[in-house]
Amino acid sequence: MIRYVIRRLLLLVPMLLGLSVIVFAIARLLPGDPAALAAGPNATPEVLASVQREFGLDKPIPLQYWDYLTGLVQGDWGVSIFTRRPVFEDIVTFLPATLELVAAAMLIAIVLGIPLGLAAAVWRNGVLDYVTRTVSLGGIAMPRFFLGLLLQLCFVTWLDILPLSGRFPLIDLPPEEITGFYTIDSLLTGDWYALRVSLAHLALPALAMSLSPLATIIRMMRASTIEVLQQDYIMTERALGLSSRLILFKYVLKNAMTSTLTVIGLYVSWLLGGTVLVETVFDWPGLGLYATQAILSQDFMPVIGVTLVIAIIYLLSMLIVDLLYGVFNPKVRSS
Amino acid sequence: MTMIQTSLPKRDPSARLENWSRAFYRFRQSWLSVIGLAIVAVLIVIALVAPLIVPYPEHVAGATDTAARFMPPSAEHWFGTNALGQDMFSLVLVGSQVSLFSGLAVVIIAIAVGGLVGAVAGYFGGWVDETLMRLTDLLLTIPSLILAMAVAAALGTGILNMIIAISITWWPAYARLIRGEVLVKKEEQFITAARALGAGPGRILGRHILPNIISPVVVKASLDMGFAILTVASLGFVGIGVRAPVPEWGTLLSTARGYMPDYWWTALFPGFAIFLAVLAFNLLGDGLRDVLDPKARR
Amino acid sequence: MSLLEITNLNLAMRSYEGETQILHGIDLKIERGEIWGMVGETGSGKSLTGLSISRLIPAATGRYLAGSIRFEGTDVLNATEREMRKLRGRKIGMIFQDPTTNLNPAFRIGTQLVDVALHAAEHDPSVLGLSGNASRRERRRAARRVAIEMLGKVGISDPIERIDAYPHQFSGGMRQRMLIAMAMIGKPDLLIADEPTTALDVSVQAQILKLIHQLVLERDIGVLMITHNLGVVAQLCSHVAVMYRGRILETGPVRTVLKQPSHAYTRALLAAIPTVHTKRGELRGIGDIMAEAG
Repeated sequence: MIRYVIRRLLLLVPMLLGLSVIVFAIARLLPGDPAALAAGPNATPEVLASVQREFGLDKPIPLQYWDYLTGLVQGDWGVSIFTRRPVFEDIVTFLPATLELVAAAMLIAIVLGIPLGLAAAVWRNGVLDYVTRTVSLGGIAMPRFFLGLLLQLCFVTWLDILPLSGRFPLIDLPPEEITGFYTIDSLLTGDWYALRVSLAHLALPALAMSLSPLATIIRMMRASTIEVLQQDYIMTERALGLSSRLILFKYVLKNAMTSTLTVIGLYVSWLLGGTVLVETVFDWPGLGLYATQAILSQDFMPVIGVTLVIAIIYLLSMLIVDLLYGVFNPKVRSS
Repeated sequence: MTMIQTSLPKRDPSARLENWSRAFYRFRQSWLSVIGLAIVAVLIVIALVAPLIVPYPEHVAGATDTAARFMPPSAEHWFGTNALGQDMFSLVLVGSQVSLFSGLAVVIIAIAVGGLVGAVAGYFGGWVDETLMRLTDLLLTIPSLILAMAVAAALGTGILNMIIAISITWWPAYARLIRGEVLVKKEEQFITAARALGAGPGRILGRHILPNIISPVVVKASLDMGFAILTVASLGFVGIGVRAPVPEWGTLLSTARGYMPDYWWTALFPGFAIFLAVLAFNLLGDGLRDVLDPKARR
Repeated sequence: MSLLEITNLNLAMRSYEGETQILHGIDLKIERGEIWGMVGETGSGKSLTGLSISRLIPAATGRYLAGSIRFEGTDVLNATEREMRKLRGRKIGMIFQDPTTNLNPAFRIGTQLVDVALHAAEHDPSVLGLSGNASRRERRRAARRVAIEMLGKVGISDPIERIDAYPHQFSGGMRQRMLIAMAMIGKPDLLIADEPTTALDVSVQAQILKLIHQLVLERDIGVLMITHNLGVVAQLCSHVAVMYRGRILETGPVRTVLKQPSHAYTRALLAAIPTVHTKRGELRGIGDIMAEAG
């Protein structure tokens, strides 16, 4: 088991190397001169040249990549032309906010989606089944940014019970930083006021992001539960008198989880990439907002950095899914 | 030498018709798919004739009417007016053009590029397959929205650039799908037979393999149309996309965001249009899957 | 009171085309110590009869038009689900045909065995050799002990280690033994075995039949063996019922029925079995014979 994990982790290295080449190539081969943008519209050629030298943009592209790669390994991910801060520091600052958002959305989707999908399968063609099916059909088609706006309209304007945007009130002090997750930090420090405030800020963006994975998890869970319920071994278990509750929550659930798990893994990456939209709607100070600003100003280094970080998280989450897959499906484990 | 008349068995047109009617019957079984098809048909018609039928075509072209700013929905302006006094109904209707056109273009380009890569990789195998698939896998790990945004921003605004940017992130999924299908079909008897008759790789791929894998591709394409429309709108929403006077749902929504909640109608209708279009293509895709690819039914 | 008494059972199944009657007036009586073979072709209603005894046909698809099933006096068709669960696993054990699909692949075999044992002990603590007021932990431990014993009894070597294995780590024959262990762990009075040896090769088949026979002798239980294999019936069973198209054509002690079949169909079935003495061209299909018999 441990050897398998180590082998999989080692396989990540060539993948990341290839990834850095591709991302770097895409970023550099595109038209647009970042130095010109950074130097401003009225810059003299001399200023422009010095800006190019400052960021190493005057060297040939393979050399620029080599510089970037060696820097990457040492934790030097380049400097953002606009914030003039090291990209690595920026990412460390913004990443926890995004991870907290994605984790909260995924948590909502899993906690609601698995039981709902299970229930829809058990009471197939019942009222609940129709309701969840309609919701999941709509949920997949619903643009996250539009849902975010609707949620703001409903909970902020009409009901006035939740804050409009942001992660924490600007005038307040966020909880002492331990993990960077405000909710967890305030729990750890026992700061109940901070917990309430950060949860209130988290609620709407997390909800807006969770609808799509929720819909997919419900669909997947429903389909695989129906499939498992028709298996011969379920009949055997029923024939030997095991209670429906035990059969459903123990014997069916574990089998139905396998295919749902794959979907969950794929959604982690999708959500990370998609935070851009929700973070824009809710002014959530995370990687998505950071990446959007960088993209709009054609600032290469942050874009490459964010892309790499998301790709790494994606690859790691796929690894975790594969390992969990072994837990739910013992056949995979032994092969 | 005498001419030998051979009569090849002709395809029976009635059998073909029966196949179609059976497929259509299965499709009709699910009323959701029929609704999807109906909405898609209406959307296409609207996209085609929108400039001719909208009540305020001059607003679509960029004219403003400051006297009628932020009018709520009324008989005169069904969807109200925006900050520039433009009729939202006209803008939303014409906005379907960009969405449908770019969605279609993205899917077609993705199928063409992905199909070529996937077919070559699957057919030739070996190191060609290894190289192409590793590249595809790598591209699949990159967050597609961010990549599309970056490319679109670098290329500059405009429908064409946006289509190119989204296509770059979409073809790998088709390459994967088509490679898998080609790998399966390649091993079948009729391919061996074609090869024995001296058919070259191009002919085998084009005449014998690709026509046989069209169903899963059509199913994925119709499901993807919805998501392509969603991605187009997303780019518009973050401010990368078509140029200002051209109405586009995502851009309309992005502009409207600043006027929420007081002028909610400026956001509600474009948003709802996106939702409806994506939903319709999803329903249609689900229905097509049941008809064309019953094995994949879940 | 008989162990099992089926009288005039009529079952209809619903499908897309509408309702069709599958079972027509089934009558069957099984006593302790009897091993009944139920033979017939695929689709003759054997398996549905077996499922009916534990009332395992979903109400959505099956409807009983008439008749009754009495198990030790309990009216099966009119019992509550609670009462039925008391019978299933504890009083009636079931073994199904395909050992590859009838074991839950995601769980250790011990887990499934222990759960069945615990269920049986809920209604009868003596299954685990405990008194009524044993604690949860005691029951769990006892159930595991009994499960290991049971595995040994069905001929699985190293049961202490094997109990924590997963089904895919077993061969087909071992999995079938597992299924028998699961069916027998609740010490049932009636064992229903639906084609328990069809998926196995001949040598393993003989071992499994021997095992079932042994269990019957040991515990004095009744067995309903559903099969299409007359060879199995001749080897193992004391009685036989011949089914054809949802009807029982004839019943009786194995010797009588097989030696002097009174029904043309039974003769046809017997003629369809090749023996060493069958000459080339002599083997005849049931269809031919039934067509001749008209």
